[in-house]
Amino acid sequence: MNKEIVIVGMNHRSAPIEVRESVAFENAYIRDALGRLSAYPSIQESVILSTCNRVEVVAVASDHLSAFEEIKTFFAAQRAHRNRDDLAELAEHIYSYHGADAVRHLFRVAASLDSMVVGEPQILGQLKDYYQAAQRTGTVSAILHRLFHRSFSVAKRVRTETGIASRVVSVSSVAVELAKRIFDRFDDKTVMLIGAGKMGDLMARHLQSNGVQSLMVTNRTFERAVELAGGIHGSPILYEDFPHYLKMADLVIGCTGSPEILVDVGMVEKVLKERKQKAMFFIDIGDRRNFDPKINELDNVYIYNIDDLKNVAEENLQERSTEAERAEGIVLEEVQNFTRWISSLEQVPTITALKQRFEEIRRKEMEKSLSGGLRDLSESQKKALEDMTAAIINKMLHDPISHLKRSSDDDQEATLYIAALKRLFGLEKK
Amino acid sequence: MDITLLKFTAVFYILATGSFIVYVFYLRDSMSRLSPLILFLGFLIHTAALGLHFFQSGYAGVNELREAVSFYNWLMVAVYLLIQLKYRLTVLGAIIAPLAFLMTLAGFAFGESSGELPPGLRTYWLPLHVTLAFLGNAVFALAFGVSLIYLLQERQLKHKRMSALMKLFPSLEALDRLNYILLVWGFPLMTLGILTGSMWAGIHWGNYWSWDPRQISSGIAWLFYGTLLHGRITAGLRGRKAALLTMVGFVVVIGYFLWGDSIFPSRHAGRFE
Repeated sequence: MNKEIVIVGMNHRSAPIEVRESVAFENAYIRDALGRLSAYPSIQESVILSTCNRVEVVAVASDHLSAFEEIKTFFAAQRAHRNRDDLAELAEHIYSYHGADAVRHLFRVAASLDSMVVGEPQILGQLKDYYQAAQRTGTVSAILHRLFHRSFSVAKRVRTETGIASRVVSVSSVAVELAKRIFDRFDDKTVMLIGAGKMGDLMARHLQSNGVQSLMVTNRTFERAVELAGGIHGSPILYEDFPHYLKMADLVIGCTGSPEILVDVGMVEKVLKERKQKAMFFIDIGDRRNFDPKINELDNVYIYNIDDLKNVAEENLQERSTEAERAEGIVLEEVQNFTRWISSLEQVPTITALKQRFEEIRRKEMEKSLSGGLRDLSESQKKALEDMTAAIINKMLHDPISHLKRSSDDDQEATLYIAALKRLFGLEKK
Repeated sequence: MDITLLKFTAVFYILATGSFIVYVFYLRDSMSRLSPLILFLGFLIHTAALGLHFFQSGYAGVNELREAVSFYNWLMVAVYLLIQLKYRLTVLGAIIAPLAFLMTLAGFAFGESSGELPPGLRTYWLPLHVTLAFLGNAVFALAFGVSLIYLLQERQLKHKRMSALMKLFPSLEALDRLNYILLVWGFPLMTLGILTGSMWAGIHWGNYWSWDPRQISSGIAWLFYGTLLHGRITAGLRGRKAALLTMVGFVVVIGYFLWGDSIFPSRHAGRFE
């Protein structure tokens, strides 16, 4: 029986969120859904992926065209279940792939090249979960097993060989990343948080999860500072006193919403002298600037405001896209390897069937002749005739078979030859 | 000195250079282990070349400029490999490996060795003095590399750019600390180098300090590095300024080591009566 890999589904680019939601599968019902899916006649193996950015069915089918229709019907049924049954609207958002294209699509998904945020690491874990769910349900067999495991190792290769996953893109992780360029360790560093803005609070927590233990919090209203400090295990200090404590701070986060400059160059110069020039990192993360940007001109002091952080994040995003190109190269290479394996799967049965077909004809014709015109042959003559006809078949089949074996390097050529042989010699009738 | 072995050394040093460059510019993680290993292999061959010279001639090859350069080079690579072992500062190799290669080449350019050690130098003072002085200097060469990386990193942070290359660099804090550690090691070695030289001079020529140009320049370098160390310990001299001064000091010292003798004739330039 013919085996083709097919993928039918939609993602964040092909379909708006309402449409994706209308066909999404809840985790608890994945087993049922897989059961319903395997009931379709052409579906042999199947895995369902359903994340917030994509809903897809990866399947092995006897024929991709009927599989496409069946999976679309399957999606429509899921949608009808939620009282939406306009199949036409659904169809324009759905993509379908088969063969090498399907393999490539899955590899790209696993390597996070098809994600909304390219390089984000969650998708691989989700893929593994959905694969395991299908495995437990029993809808996975040799081909999908190999396909998914291959996709996991492609993802790993892309991760280690390209910088695609290493570039941080959120403002608060960019700030932590920069702090790591300045400071070797955080457990002996002190953070001062000025103001009660949400971003500042988030930033402080992010630094804590990276090892910062000592934290001072100040705010114009002291009660708010106490409240805030309680939430993140910091020590509240009086707003009037913060300039005195500044010399203890290695990282200073400003997030007040006030339009005035709270820390100026002279202040930092004085503090630096007291600190014996130990490095300081100012993060001005509020909507208004609280730190004088000229601070950057002092030695051993670094200051980044929200726009700087956004710019770095933006640069990282661009750099990701050049890394993504390299990742695409790796994916293509792996797709070729995989399709080579798939076509070799089809080759062997085709060759066997071809030999059987010829042998069958030979046997029939021999029987006919031996019971007809050649009835009087001696045993040794019969034997010689047997050998001769067998030799003719072997000689005739030798070239086509060795050609077929060699063609496995080129997926398209192999598929073409296999299809031609099946047609020409009626191998598929049985 | 054995030219064939030195040629092999040069080949390994250039291979290591290439490998470090691939590591730095293409961010290939596999290269982070391979590159120091290639450099280490080159170092082993280099060691064999120096050892062979010692056994064949019976004295450590440090008299003529080519020998001195080769020996200095060897010490520098050794110090780097030690740092690599302890601090995993692979990116520093991208500075040291090409330097090691160029110095091996420079060794070829300074002409053939006479294979004869002047009688005045047949003493244990020679290897002792030269090893200490060179070792101190090699440590400063590494401090130069660390400072260079510091300045690159600092510049990017000040200009608010975050390149992929930066991922390979240690933090400024770690670089500054390593720079300090190297200074703390290099300065006493340099001091001992000058002291042994002076004692040797005292024993052989009768006066400990003869205002020889090399002695003067070493004295100035010693004062420079001493002030730098003092500043670091007491006055909070650190970061960019410390890195810049470290680099300036080294460039002056190495420049004098290579060309000073031809400008100001000195007893160090092989003119031993």
